Amino acid sequence: MDVLASQTPAALGVKGLTKRYGDGTLALHDLDLEVPAGSFFGLLGPNGAGKTTLIGAICNLVRPTAGEISVFGHEGSSMHARRMIGIAEQEPNLDKFLTVFETLLYHGGYYGMAKGEASERAEQMIDAFDLRAKRDVEAPKLSGGMRRRLLLARALLHRPNLVILDEPTAGVDLELRHELWSYIRKLHEQGTTILLTTHYLEEAEALCDEIALISGGRIVARDTATGLKDSHGVGTLEEVYLKTVSSGRIALAEEAART
Amino acid sequence: MTALPPTQVEPHPWRGLAWLSRRECHRVLKLWKQTILAPVIAALLFMVVFGLSLGNSISEINGFKYQVYIVPGLIAMAMAQAAYSNNSSTIFQARNDRYLDDILSAPMSAWQMHIGYLAGGGLRSLMIGVLLTALALPITGAPLEHPLELLAAVLLLSTAFGALGIIVGVYAQSWDNQSFINNIVILPLIFLGGVFYSVSRLGTPWEQISHFNPLFYVVDATRYGFLGASDVNPVISLSIVAVITIGLVSWSQYLFSTGHRLKP
Ligand SMILES: Nc1ncnc2c1ncn2[C@@H]1O[C@H](COP(=O)(O)OP(=O)(O)OP(=O)(O)O)[C@@H](O)[C@H]1O
Ligand SMILES: [Mg+2]
Repeated sequence: MDVLASQTPAALGVKGLTKRYGDGTLALHDLDLEVPAGSFFGLLGPNGAGKTTLIGAICNLVRPTAGEISVFGHEGSSMHARRMIGIAEQEPNLDKFLTVFETLLYHGGYYGMAKGEASERAEQMIDAFDLRAKRDVEAPKLSGGMRRRLLLARALLHRPNLVILDEPTAGVDLELRHELWSYIRKLHEQGTTILLTTHYLEEAEALCDEIALISGGRIVARDTATGLKDSHGVGTLEEVYLKTVSSGRIALAEEAART
Repeated sequence: MTALPPTQVEPHPWRGLAWLSRRECHRVLKLWKQTILAPVIAALLFMVVFGLSLGNSISEINGFKYQVYIVPGLIAMAMAQAAYSNNSSTIFQARNDRYLDDILSAPMSAWQMHIGYLAGGGLRSLMIGVLLTALALPITGAPLEHPLELLAAVLLLSTAFGALGIIVGVYAQSWDNQSFINNIVILPLIFLGGVFYSVSRLGTPWEQISHFNPLFYVVDATRYGFLGASDVNPVISLSIVAVITIGLVSWSQYLFSTGHRLKP
């Protein structure tokens, strides 16, 4: 079993990833990260730490300045890598000309599903995310929470092997949050790798089997929640967060001063 | 850890292209009043107002009645503007609302995304062309002399202006940018390209200057397709239109291939 596990390529391998935006902002700085296949992985860090930039680079939405990305052993920008990732971005970005059903159907099509399969799957996701009553309503006419549901349903529609959720529970009611997590847990149990960013530390602690803390465009700590607390000699994840994150900020400030 | 090995699913990028084209055509048809009906009525109004009212007071041009002479140029103008404005607004909207990300992250190659986005403007432009031809020929009595050359000319012009629309949609910072380009660049060049007159009648130096206007060849090639008469040899005008098309398509392909301005 262990032998098998070590032969499975990592769900995500990031090596030396650097991103400097056009305006000079250094958002990622020589970042290395490996997310094992099958893990429930939390990526935590303060505003502006580089989480969304990292996710964008993985999903071909941001052009990296340097570095390599692999997804289950495939080169990050390859068709196979793209097909295996499902992403729910931080800000809902829904096509305003499509209804709920069409949003899901067309997404399946973009990702290469056959029409019958995509349509069947779209109906399943509509039920799973409680959007049945809004099936034929266009995205701009949905409430904020419904948009978030549709965004998540879209990310999961093509049965991705690696699901990336960028703050999926920001501004979401308690009920949806519970439903969402039980759904994602089920997916995880079936073998899907989950990469999650969130600002709710207790959520990350309860769900994730591994956590990486990112600050100033670098990974500053990485372990299980218990491991992180033990190695920093503190009782809560919050204390670990506060300790490590400030060190990252200082490093970035020094870097900025040098260049 | 009980990680199941990831199941390998084939990406099928061709399906992605088919669905993106379908989405772009869906948008055109959903907004048909704005995308199809309005430009058809506008072009017909030009034909009726200019052609029938001025037709009797203007002598024939190159052997054609005035209301017949202006039909090809007006159809070319309507088709070019439709392809341009369709693609510039669809790309700008997708960028602005960031649902473009759903396409950029999908398993499609850059040229498949590019062709998918060209499809909407192509459909809109061709629908307008077919409708206008079907209405204008009986109303004005204009002929259709060379259907194959006409088809070549309109396919090239739809593609060229569709690509130009993508380029402007990618570079645009605001909604105003697109209508600015339309009003300041495309419309004047088309008008000066001889929609309403034969540039050969302008005399030196205006005739020679008109030959530097790329839109002149678009109008002239279309006119040859309908009327069988043109200011320059149709082989030359079609070749020039083809070169312009290749140039614009290469530019928009470059934008998709590099992600320039599409991705930060
Ligand atoms: N398009 C852009 N152009 C220039 N700078 C950008 C761009 N997008 C993000 N940045 C900058 O890059 C840095 C990292 O931003 P990013 O969005 O990755 O942070 P984040 O960790 O996701 O933060 P949050 O928790 O607030 O979502 C920030 O300094 C941000 O201002
Ligand atoms: Mg973010």
